[in-house]
Amino acid sequence: METLIIQLLNGLVFSMLLFTMAAGLSLIFGQMDVINLAHGSFYLLGGYIGLTMVRRLGSFWLALVVAPLVVGALGLALEYFFLRRLYGRHRHLDQVLFTFGLALIAADLIRWNWGAYVESVPPPELLSGQIPVFTVQFPVYRLSLIAVGVTLALGLGLLLERTRIGAIIRAGVADAEMVSALGIDIHKVFAGVFALGVALAALAGVLGAPVLNLYPGLDFEILILTLVVVVVGGLGTLRGAFFGSLLIGMADTFGKAFLPEFALFLIFAVMAVVLLLRPSGLFGLEGT
Amino acid sequence: MGDKKTVRPSGMSRRQFLRTAGIVVGATAAAPLLSACGPLAGGRATGPVKIGLLLPYSDIYAVLGESITAAMEMYFEEVGNEAGGRTIELIKEDTEIKPDVAQQKARKLVEQDEVDLVAGVVSSGVLLALRDYFDANKKLLICANAGANPISRDRKTPYIWRTSFSNWQPNWPVGKWAAENVGKRAFISVPDYAAGENTITSFAHSFVNAGGEIIGVQRTPFPNMGDPAPFMAEIADAEPDLVYAFYSGGAAVTFVKAYADFGLAGNIPLLSSGFMVEEDVLPAQGEAALGVRSGLHWALLLDNPVNQAFTAAYKERTGRDANVFAVQGYDTARVIVEMLNRVEGDTTDVDKMVEVLPDIQFDSPRGPFRFDAKSQNPSQHIYLREVREVDGVLHNVIIEDLGEIADPGDNSKDLEV
Repeated sequence: METLIIQLLNGLVFSMLLFTMAAGLSLIFGQMDVINLAHGSFYLLGGYIGLTMVRRLGSFWLALVVAPLVVGALGLALEYFFLRRLYGRHRHLDQVLFTFGLALIAADLIRWNWGAYVESVPPPELLSGQIPVFTVQFPVYRLSLIAVGVTLALGLGLLLERTRIGAIIRAGVADAEMVSALGIDIHKVFAGVFALGVALAALAGVLGAPVLNLYPGLDFEILILTLVVVVVGGLGTLRGAFFGSLLIGMADTFGKAFLPEFALFLIFAVMAVVLLLRPSGLFGLEGT
Repeated sequence: MGDKKTVRPSGMSRRQFLRTAGIVVGATAAAPLLSACGPLAGGRATGPVKIGLLLPYSDIYAVLGESITAAMEMYFEEVGNEAGGRTIELIKEDTEIKPDVAQQKARKLVEQDEVDLVAGVVSSGVLLALRDYFDANKKLLICANAGANPISRDRKTPYIWRTSFSNWQPNWPVGKWAAENVGKRAFISVPDYAAGENTITSFAHSFVNAGGEIIGVQRTPFPNMGDPAPFMAEIADAEPDLVYAFYSGGAAVTFVKAYADFGLAGNIPLLSSGFMVEEDVLPAQGEAALGVRSGLHWALLLDNPVNQAFTAAYKERTGRDANVFAVQGYDTARVIVEMLNRVEGDTTDVDKMVEVLPDIQFDSPRGPFRFDAKSQNPSQHIYLREVREVDGVLHNVIIEDLGEIADPGDNSKDLEV
């Protein structure tokens, strides 16, 4: 029983980490209808920028602010110079090719700059240490990730549902022409959403670094994990990303704890079952 | 949260999404398939000696591949890039950690580039997958790392020789030592692939024979274990006297850091084969690795003149401390050069090359290097090391010499758990 509770806690921590990873991908797909296969690269880049900040300035908190800003700015530039040309209903293959190419280039550039050695980022002083939970000394930093995930979910939900900006974003994806006709610069809206999405990936990169470390190849691991989460949850809905994260996080943790031989394959099995029962994912919209 | 009002009339369906994503992923996966074809050819007698390198340059063992390459190049430069009257040319291929990719790259090197011999191979799973190809084609493979036990035993072939170790070597002596010096109830944690299985049976044999008991075995996903938290909870729950583990490269950092994060370090002694706390991963592990004890055939601070010269030159060249993989790369290059000198650069007859290998001996950074002809693998000292702070930096300090050890050449000193 005690083991079960501890593993439940582990699952919750990993789920919330997954949600912070997947939120940006889900946002960009849901609100812009763009599949960003470079999502893992923005995650890894954010993590490495965070690493440099921690090394140079010794502040994890500063890294949490600066890495998303830098990567967000990079996102703005990429959107303006490239992605902007690839919007539209029948251009998904173009978007996929562009973002996947971007991911390959980014992987080499990141390795060129930061090397192939595994790097680790210590958690901030305030959150280091452990709290005893039954037989286990549970790391405080991991517990704090639960709060981060929930806060992020609520914050993004409020932004999209309760603010004027959110209304414009949602209107933009529903009917871009009509929004333009109302005198709103739809290009700026899309640019902003893309920047926010990749900044979230970078934020997750910094948050995840003390747990998963940083190394070449992590970008594609994260991409696959977040794609699974987003597909299971229902493409492009934030609610879906949240509950998809919970399902996949729990499946991964309990798979490792009780069926370690199948742990790698288990999350894909869960994805297959979900898609068989609900082809649009847990919270996907039917018939699009 | 909540986005029930979101409407996406222009959105793509999940099927379209999966199809487009699938095309891209499929295309990248298929790329290596399109490379190799061409006639099979033996080595030549003139022109440069072409040496194919099969190493991981990506994924969790990337640094291992880089270290081996850097040290090989360093040795070749020391001898003027020449052996047996011929210049040396390296052709590098990235095997990742995938047996199927490695097989394609091996065919490409042998059949398309027509290399004279092949060196490298980091992962035990990759080595086992390559074995039949080199055996059937009578191509020489000098293995610079992968320790898969069967290659020195029932899967032995005249055409694969190792300059590194068998997985049995660094684990077996530590089992006895641990039972006598640390505790009697051990929990084992290894990645779920060939080298992990070898680790379990090698350690268990001497540990159990010395009165120990294996109270649990954990096999974690390979190559990437992802979030290690569930495994830490399992270890804490088992309450063993000690944990014995084998991880290498990226997974070693993940495991050792999580072991400290969950407060296990300092409470339950952690022992391992030396790869887990080697110099390539120690800086990233930091204080989390303090006190980890491990068995290995080398240590950075090993006191002999060849090692001092090697470690200094390697650091100057790469900016990083040397590691055991670099030592093996250095020795691999040396073995190749000594062999080519003895056959006077004639690589047309593979049996002649194989014939001179057992006689090659020299002073290596790890001490005297010599092959054990029976296991086609080095006979070497295994050192028990402990991670300590030396002048403000973490290093593996040798605390005991566990003696010179050769692979038994069969499974008589392994114990299935």
